[in-house]
Amino acid sequence: MSIPILSLVAFLPLAGAALLLFLPRENKVLLYGIALAFTIAVFLFSLPLHFAFDGGTADPQFVERANWLGLGIEYHVGVDGISLYLVLMTTFLMPLALLASWSHIRDRIKEYLFFMLLLETGMIGVFIALNLFLFYVFWEAALIPMVFLIGMWGGRRRVYASTKFVLFTMAGSLLMLVAMFVLYAAFFKETGTHSFALADLLNLSLAPKLQTWLFLAFGLAFAVKVPMFPFHTWLPDAHVEAPTAGSVILAAVLLKMGAYGFLRFAFPLFPEAAAKFLPVLAVLAVIGIIYGGFMALVQKDVKSLVAYSSVSHMGLIMLALFAGNTAGVQGAVIHMVNHGLSTGMLFLCVGILYERAHTRLIKDFGGVSGRMPVFAAFFLVAVLSSLGLPGLNGFVGEILCLYGAFAADKLWAVLAVTTVILAAAYLLGMFRRVMHGPIANDHIRAFRDLNGREIALLVPIVVLMFWIGLHPSTFLRKMDASVAQYVSRIKGRERVFVVKPLAAPVAVEAGRATE
Amino acid sequence: MSVFPALGPLLAIAAGALAVILAEAFFKRENKDHLAFLSLAVLLVSGWLAVRLWGRNAEAFGGTLRFDDAAVFLTLLLLAGTAFVVLMGMRHIVRQRMNDGEFYGLLLLAAAGLVIMVSSGNFVAVFLGLEVLSVSSYALAGLKRGDERSTEAAAKYFLIGSFAAAFIVFGLALLFGGSGTLELTEIAAAGTIPLLALAGLALVLGGFAFKLALVPFHMWQPDVYEGAPTPVTAFFAFGPKAAGFLVLLRLLLPYWQSGFKKEAVFSVLWAVAAATMLVSSLAALRQRNVKRMLAYSSIAHAGYLLIAVLSKDASGLLFYLANYLFLSMGAFGVLAALGRDGVERTNLEDFAGLGARFPWMGGLFAVFVFGLAGFPPTGGFLAKFYVFSAAVREGHTALVLIAVLSSLISVYYYLRVVVFMYMRRSEGEEAAVDFENPPLLLVLFLCLYGVLQLGIFPSYILTFVRRAAESLF
Repeated sequence: MSIPILSLVAFLPLAGAALLLFLPRENKVLLYGIALAFTIAVFLFSLPLHFAFDGGTADPQFVERANWLGLGIEYHVGVDGISLYLVLMTTFLMPLALLASWSHIRDRIKEYLFFMLLLETGMIGVFIALNLFLFYVFWEAALIPMVFLIGMWGGRRRVYASTKFVLFTMAGSLLMLVAMFVLYAAFFKETGTHSFALADLLNLSLAPKLQTWLFLAFGLAFAVKVPMFPFHTWLPDAHVEAPTAGSVILAAVLLKMGAYGFLRFAFPLFPEAAAKFLPVLAVLAVIGIIYGGFMALVQKDVKSLVAYSSVSHMGLIMLALFAGNTAGVQGAVIHMVNHGLSTGMLFLCVGILYERAHTRLIKDFGGVSGRMPVFAAFFLVAVLSSLGLPGLNGFVGEILCLYGAFAADKLWAVLAVTTVILAAAYLLGMFRRVMHGPIANDHIRAFRDLNGREIALLVPIVVLMFWIGLHPSTFLRKMDASVAQYVSRIKGRERVFVVKPLAAPVAVEAGRATE
Repeated sequence: MSVFPALGPLLAIAAGALAVILAEAFFKRENKDHLAFLSLAVLLVSGWLAVRLWGRNAEAFGGTLRFDDAAVFLTLLLLAGTAFVVLMGMRHIVRQRMNDGEFYGLLLLAAAGLVIMVSSGNFVAVFLGLEVLSVSSYALAGLKRGDERSTEAAAKYFLIGSFAAAFIVFGLALLFGGSGTLELTEIAAAGTIPLLALAGLALVLGGFAFKLALVPFHMWQPDVYEGAPTPVTAFFAFGPKAAGFLVLLRLLLPYWQSGFKKEAVFSVLWAVAAATMLVSSLAALRQRNVKRMLAYSSIAHAGYLLIAVLSKDASGLLFYLANYLFLSMGAFGVLAALGRDGVERTNLEDFAGLGARFPWMGGLFAVFVFGLAGFPPTGGFLAKFYVFSAAVREGHTALVLIAVLSSLISVYYYLRVVVFMYMRRSEGEEAAVDFENPPLLLVLFLCLYGVLQLGIFPSYILTFVRRAAESLF
């Protein structure tokens, strides 16, 4: 490739942010226009990644590699089938998130857009970095803007929420940094050369005890980010306090950074240790699924309901990852994208409601669909996508995840299926109480339906939802080779957790057949 | 070879200091800017003379003064830091009603002491430099004569400082008696009466721990930092620490190879480093005054620097110091910009809403503070990165874990300032920001540039750092 397309995608938002600094702060239209133009340009530039991507090979593509600081610290980026759609989801959602902010971010717009663009660079960087040092830099770079977004434009307890968010995340990531040093030192001891390149470090064979510690350090950083039970407590706070666009990005992209970290780093680098901890992790994932679901059932606030549903969904994604078979991993990756779309859209819908009602308590609503029929349709699609209705994207991801989990261990899969039941219960229950029934109060009578901007930002998501739901192979075939390589790498070294010999082959066959 | 080249930077700066003091005495003018410009010129000349010594390993007085590359590198950093302080002070001393030309003269004298310290190969010369530095520092701390806190700072600094100096002198006497040499690099090898020398070494290290404010000898520092005029605090935060750590490194690098009882000395310093990082971070949590908080944060940074000394990481130490120059000067520079005539405003409440009222100033401070906390892409991250990774390579993983814990705590208190700046509205009288202060703004801009350059494209500087580090081995 002659055009450094990944660098362009990653750093164009940064350029936009720098440009914003020098624009007058009073001109709202200009500021939003520039920011939107940059994010849309980034999305357009990222489209060739999909079309030119060769699904037949597992190697990273669009690779750029240059020396940066020496001693193994390189600028080394690339995408494979696993990261490709996470990058695309990020670039796809950013313009929509900005568009959604138009009406409810009124003060300090310049700073707001600056941090949003900074955040985009950080997030894309996390997904494309192939050098551990670079990964860490982007990982941290994505943290700070989010802290500001929550802390400056958040709700009443925004300072608490943003501080909690940063401390939880930093506790994990600083330990990960130490683990990176240990890896780096171990590589130096073994080979006599310095390297932070993921490809080099993958060849390292580490003593089991060392692996255990390193896996725990990496695992903690990622588990906090996912978040896995019991490290999830920052998430509801952050989500409830964050502005709408912040919630969308947090749920859709930032949480995926954790799952992606397991997939890209923690498991491949420390397979033996990972295998040892898999039973524990699987239990935590199942607890997350069930606990998140039950918590969502009892929430009074729509936004924290969606936040807990995230905990539940991420639990399923993690369980599928831990299954470590083709169906599971593929399901996990596609479900990450699905969850990004459906939960992102749910947050957008909640934001739209909040802008009209200035409340998010379920009891303050009722009969909204009578006043906002168009909105009701969109909201219903988001709800159905999130609970996994066949024909929509959520179903594809869920079914693959559950197949994968089933193939690995029937008991976990059976427990995980509760996610479907619980999701139906809390989401439909919420939808019924908010949208149906008699109109609850006079405020609702005054609601106006969606305007053009709001429809424009929801339609692309719905289109993509149906696309993935009806024709998932557009996306799945691009990731086949990468997932297969990942699975063989994990399997090659150690068996995945309690594989029960009878059920496994059948379920995997079934999983393949539906694709 | 004549002694002149090696003495050049020192002569220039000492002569300049005297010239500035004389000029103040003979040309009594209300506006002291000419003294500032004279000082800057002196620093520039001295810096130029120092640059010419790069790679030449020049010596004077039989190796008592030796400008190896590390000394040149650090001299340049120190001169740059002093220049920043001069620029920072130009308007500040007028506004804070302490418009005395002595500020510049004392600053240059202190800088001369620093240059002696970094370039000396012999403990007597180190002590000489230390005293030149200290005596000027005591006066600088009390420069704001009408202010009780400033006077208190000077008195405290003087008492503790002379106490520490007495320890060092006594330690040197024992060291000389025990080992028969005061050459920094030879103390490790010699040892006719090891126990006596060890006692001497302990006293010397204790004295240095006082001067560098390492826990448990750190109590004076927050008071002095808070009381001293802000540009002076900026000077204290960088200069003495940088020079002191280079001396420690020169002393201990050979010592880790072959020193007597090196394991014992190592474990004591290990404990000091751990305590320094943890105690300072925890204490910083409780501070409501940002200047005082930065004082504790500078103690924490001393802890990280000590890790570099313990893990024989000379290049890490030098690179850390280069970063710390920009970060600390930048952070204190913003503090210097706050306040009204005659009053410094450095409480957390004074920062409330700063980000909204003065976006550029708030943004700058946020960058410096995140740099001090060690977030990429600032140089603060890279500095910590190199030091910690070298420590892990040397097998000091436990110490790095403590350092990481301390960093995590530090994130909280650094973040709190940012929270006040961006997420609180100000109540009561708002602190003004001094924008009609071009020299200060220049300093802030240079610091921002330095922080980002060292954080994103440091390769060029790193080659110098590595060459300078090699000269120490």
